[in-house]
Amino acid sequence: MANKPRVGIFDFTGCEGCELNQLNFEDQLLDILEHVEIVEWREAMDGRAESLDIAFVEGALSTPDCIKRIHEIRRKSKVLVALGACAVQGGINALKNIRPIEQVREEVYGQDKYLFPTLPALPLSAVVKVDVNIRGCPMTQLEFLKVFTALVMGKAPVEPGNAVCTECKLKDNECVYEKGMICLGPVTRAGCDAQCPTFGQYCTGCRGLVPEPNVEAMEEILVAHGLSMDDARKKLQMFNANQLEGVS
Amino acid sequence: MARFYLENGKVAAFIGHLQQQKTVYAPHRKGRNAFAFAPVDRPQDVVLDYPRTVSSIKRYFLPPREELLSFNLVENTCEQPVVAPLDAVFLGVHSYDVHAVLKLDHNFVSGNPERNYLTRRQGALIVGVGFTPDRFHFSGSVGVPAGDTTGCDLFLHPCEGGYALEALTPDGEGLVAGFPLPAHTAGLPAAAPFHQHIYVPQAKLKDVLAHGYDSEVWEEEAEKCTSCGTCNLVCPTCYCFDVEDAVDITVTRGSRERRWDGCLLRSFTEVAGGEVFREEPAARQRHRVFRKFKYISDETGEPWCVGCGRCTASCTAGISIVSIVNRLVNDHDAVKA
Repeated sequence: MANKPRVGIFDFTGCEGCELNQLNFEDQLLDILEHVEIVEWREAMDGRAESLDIAFVEGALSTPDCIKRIHEIRRKSKVLVALGACAVQGGINALKNIRPIEQVREEVYGQDKYLFPTLPALPLSAVVKVDVNIRGCPMTQLEFLKVFTALVMGKAPVEPGNAVCTECKLKDNECVYEKGMICLGPVTRAGCDAQCPTFGQYCTGCRGLVPEPNVEAMEEILVAHGLSMDDARKKLQMFNANQLEGVS
Repeated sequence: MARFYLENGKVAAFIGHLQQQKTVYAPHRKGRNAFAFAPVDRPQDVVLDYPRTVSSIKRYFLPPREELLSFNLVENTCEQPVVAPLDAVFLGVHSYDVHAVLKLDHNFVSGNPERNYLTRRQGALIVGVGFTPDRFHFSGSVGVPAGDTTGCDLFLHPCEGGYALEALTPDGEGLVAGFPLPAHTAGLPAAAPFHQHIYVPQAKLKDVLAHGYDSEVWEEEAEKCTSCGTCNLVCPTCYCFDVEDAVDITVTRGSRERRWDGCLLRSFTEVAGGEVFREEPAARQRHRVFRKFKYISDETGEPWCVGCGRCTASCTAGISIVSIVNRLVNDHDAVKA
């Protein structure tokens, strides 16, 4: 390929697990590098790039500096991809948003809190236009490769909109509720191949809510299966605090 | 045809006898409280007394995910995978799931015959088994008693100490041949009663559903529903699917995959340009029920629901298709009486 797309990888507030997952593509890393030129990636190399074809951005926006940087990245990138739950929904960082921000600052930084300006943890889409979402905590390699391939081909990637339940049913899994556990599969976006329910866990909702979620119905289901309404709300808030408040 | 007595102590040996002839699929325990069809490895792991499996044997003829073709973008070529008849025995199938396969046969023979399904279906022999209705089964209301042998080659009627093994076709007799069994001379035990009922025949449901098109029940049920699509995906007579092309990381090769889809899912009704043609969850709920008791039924005269109870038993929100239909019957009768 004569002109390989120029790719940058960036991080904001998060654990950098999604980025690290990209370095774990041991079988595909050489194929990936066949198609693109990585020109900026703090976690793996030095240097800054002036312009990019594709920016993969991990992490939530949680400081005034984050806002400044995401605008810079957006300005120099043709396609911006939100990578992982923190970038797509704000992730578990957004749990701080449900409490007064002054209280949160004080708990973390104590008397030095004035040295560390902070904002509610926001998804990238709350500040700049996001072209593609790769969901999950962490993002799955399977979905990354699908999106990556589509972008290299110049096609719009397909974003899954069904609930995780659909993937359990295709795999003939025993329903998590049938085991006497609770699960957020009914309102959580598929695309993970129902990995957690398949391996004995329940869905914690890391991939975000489905489009037009019936949150009230989900809460009723959780309550009917033994949770208090307060606990039901907390389960849903873990990865979706922003979406439940209408921030997206 | 002949009826034999298969005592409980000989069931495993009989399954072994079937295994010598063909691949055998049968219900096994899956997870903590569920059952699922799987290829038999050890006959003693087969469970013949079970309430229902997560999904029906449909998945062997219409796989949940299936490659329809593979292609090469550089050479501009494509290939269809070879699909072969299953040539297998399905053991321990409940009568409603056999009826469901017969309904799918009808759907897939009509119009453009569905080559992959019909090819796999060839050579599949079915050994039915009776069941004790639980609080979700209602197949008796849609013309499928628990001991119904329609579509089976052999049928295991549960009786004292074992089963009355009824041979129904020459293929079924062939499966038993070489496994000595005494004749079953006693009568068959009376069928166990159902605990769920739709009280009116399909001929009347046609009018009931037409009358209930604008019923409030759709909105009421939709309020409880998360549109997760489980009811569609566990249904043995649902056959809708989605098709997606995917290219692998070489950006030269790819494949076209077909996978199960369902009308309750919002994305199912989303078409090119982002238009969603059945936007309201209530409209999708109605469509699902009408697909089981109205649209195909008006053409065939039969309910397209087999009363397995899976949609209701699997619904975490507790939405019951029997309750919906009976509510519509009551509303209809209250007005028309």
